[in-house]
Amino acid sequence: MEMERSMASNSTGTLEIRHLNKQYEVEGAPLKVLSDIKLRIAPGEFVSIVGSSGCGKSTLLRLIVGLEEDYQGELLLDGQRIAGTSLERGIVFQEHRLFPWLTVEDNIGLGLLNAPLTEGQKRFAVRDHIALVGLRGFEKALPHQLSGGMAQRVAIARALVNRPEILLLDEPFGALDAITRAHLQQELQRIWQAEGITTILVTHDVEEAVFLGDKVVVMAPRPGRIRRVLPVPLAHPRQRASLEFAAIKADVMSEFGSDAATDPAPQPALAAA
Amino acid sequence: MTTPLSPLLNHRAVLAAAELRAPLAPGVPSAQPRLLSSARRAWRALAPRLVSWPFPLLVLLLWYLGCRFEWIAPQVLPSPATVWATLVDMFRSGDIWLHLQVSLVRVFAGFALGLAAGGALGIAMGLSPTFKDYVYPLFKAFSQVPVLGWLPLLMLLVGIDETLKIVLIAKAALVPVALNTYKGIQGVPTRYIEVARVLRFTRWQLLTKVVLPAAFAPIWNGVRYGFTHAWLALVVVELLASSEGIGYLIVYGRQLFQLDVVLAAVVVVGAVGFALDKALALIEVRLTRWRRAGF
Amino acid sequence: MARPAPLAQRVPRPLRGWVLPLGLLLVWWTAFHFGWSTSPLLVSPTAVWERALRYTASGELREALGASLWRNLAGFAIGATGGLLFGAALGFSRRFERVVGPSFHTLKQISLFAWIPLISVWFGLGDAAKVAFLSLAAFFPVVLNTFEGIRSVPRELIEVARVLRLTRWQVLSRVALPSAAPSIFAGIHLALVYAWLATLGAEYLLVAGKGIGNTLIDGREHLQMDLVIFGVIVVGAVGFTLNWLATQIENRLLAWRGSTVAQF
Repeated sequence: MEMERSMASNSTGTLEIRHLNKQYEVEGAPLKVLSDIKLRIAPGEFVSIVGSSGCGKSTLLRLIVGLEEDYQGELLLDGQRIAGTSLERGIVFQEHRLFPWLTVEDNIGLGLLNAPLTEGQKRFAVRDHIALVGLRGFEKALPHQLSGGMAQRVAIARALVNRPEILLLDEPFGALDAITRAHLQQELQRIWQAEGITTILVTHDVEEAVFLGDKVVVMAPRPGRIRRVLPVPLAHPRQRASLEFAAIKADVMSEFGSDAATDPAPQPALAAA
Repeated sequence: MTTPLSPLLNHRAVLAAAELRAPLAPGVPSAQPRLLSSARRAWRALAPRLVSWPFPLLVLLLWYLGCRFEWIAPQVLPSPATVWATLVDMFRSGDIWLHLQVSLVRVFAGFALGLAAGGALGIAMGLSPTFKDYVYPLFKAFSQVPVLGWLPLLMLLVGIDETLKIVLIAKAALVPVALNTYKGIQGVPTRYIEVARVLRFTRWQLLTKVVLPAAFAPIWNGVRYGFTHAWLALVVVELLASSEGIGYLIVYGRQLFQLDVVLAAVVVVGAVGFALDKALALIEVRLTRWRRAGF
Repeated sequence: MARPAPLAQRVPRPLRGWVLPLGLLLVWWTAFHFGWSTSPLLVSPTAVWERALRYTASGELREALGASLWRNLAGFAIGATGGLLFGAALGFSRRFERVVGPSFHTLKQISLFAWIPLISVWFGLGDAAKVAFLSLAAFFPVVLNTFEGIRSVPRELIEVARVLRLTRWQVLSRVALPSAAPSIFAGIHLALVYAWLATLGAEYLLVAGKGIGNTLIDGREHLQMDLVIFGVIVVGAVGFTLNWLATQIENRLLAWRGSTVAQF
């Protein structure tokens, strides 16, 4: 256990979740939102979390990023207990949440506001990330001038400009049309490969989950728990039309076929592959 | 196509080491106290209400002491006890009702007039671009002159009897009502109008079944705003040129240096103004609830 | 087979706005010229024009308007600044709002001009009283809109600020204030309108001194219709200019809004 922990803290971007529980109080009675979550994410891994509404996947993400703080159990990043937000953990929300009064480069620069870098270094970092997400030329644009897809790319750049240990994405493409969504999935994959950053993506789109993730975590609702973890041992770039892809996708979809409500008891979560 | 990134200092590590910044939202401890005693829960519910009292009570106390120990001359500020006594007296003797009645009749008459005229103007401008082209510039020019700017002119034209007051109050209400009605109708999404065209609505049906309900929120805003202005105009015109009404009461008290009467009348003005505005708010809730139930 | 367009629609669009005013002017001039009314109140448009020239040339206009404007701006500045601070305090501190808020909301109910008699007792009838009253007129709308703007800062943007680890001061200055800016500007615009309205009322009710409102009252008392009409035009012109200035500044500083409602 000790050796495991010291090994984990040497590699950056290792996320350990053990016996994570969370509940809310609703009119005096406790409402269990997350039940005994156990998950280990290795550095540089891309993990997709799928589930229908109410399975607690967004809550899990908010706990990891530190926007929610009341939990029982262990939530460790590189061996350190997660308490509150930190620049080590970046997040992209479903809405782009860009500040409407700032230009694209100022919005991204906001991430570096308190960074101990010189102005020149900050400008460089911002420009680098604008290029990374493919928005060169749009530095001075205002959010209301951008399309939904472009705005979301700015949000991704803002989350990455701090070189966080781990990148979290909460249904980032849910508000976009299908064509933009597919395009941005490709972009995200390219960026992840370029950066090598540990990434957790929450989505209700199974195809997106299988396309992007090294493993797919299927969650079930009421109470939110991990039902199954499926590895996706396919090489990048992935072909959506290939047989192996379709097989894995069907496998994941089958988890949703059986009605979660009739599940007699929460299944023990499988250890990560 | 990967883009090479510049090797930056791991600045976050530097930050983490020098982490002096307190988190914005203090972390909630993970073990919460299980059961709050019912007393504590009751206090939590009441406290926000109670905490708003100390300040005004303190002011009241200072006021009372100031008069008691004559830190302030009674002509400058009468004691709260005197004001209260005067208020009670005014209500008991029935004086106040007479004045209130005059004022309320005036403001309602003027407001109704302004509402009707402003509403008609706003609807006409909203529905007919031709009408708007002809009328809007002149309307805009007229609305640049605040209500009070018209007062001397109107005094010359109609004297200082009831007509003056009602016309002034009507004018005060007219501009916000007309403007908001016009803007509200303009803001009705074209898609609703198109549905009405496809379903071959008559002009009247279009107005009553599509445009007015859709524009209700901004129109009602205009109505409330118009009433505030009407009330404002009422007080001014009664301060300036009237021999009855609550505005007149204020002036009367002032002339006789009876500040307790002035303060009592001010309290009444505030209370009545508040009550009327609240009534308008309630009407809005009523009307929109009915509409929402329809969906 | 096209029907000829009705008369009203045959006038080219940019000219339509002029039809009514010019028409009214024509009716007015005709009424005077043909003596439709024997009332001494019916003055000719040229009389108004001549009065305007005389009044400007003699420097009286500058004196009256100058006095009104400086009081207007002084009162507006004091009231708006106080309003910003008070509104910000109400917005940022829930405790402050709970303690002082209800008292403020109660005072706000009292119709503005009802304060004048009290102010006249405490400040007299001169400039000080007028400026005090104008400050009050500007104060209330600014407080309300500032408070509203700060309270409406979207929680979603605050969360971004938390994730990016902005300090308390940075959240205030870089998130809350810009987000509240449109509302704050709306309040300031409203304050300008109310202040100009209040300037006139103050001059009617607190009669000592000079001002454009006093000019109007004088004209009325001496039955000088031409002076009164001229005064009305001046008042309207100033109102229009203040409005226009406020809108220009607003559009310049809030250009980031674009044409649609801000979305995040």
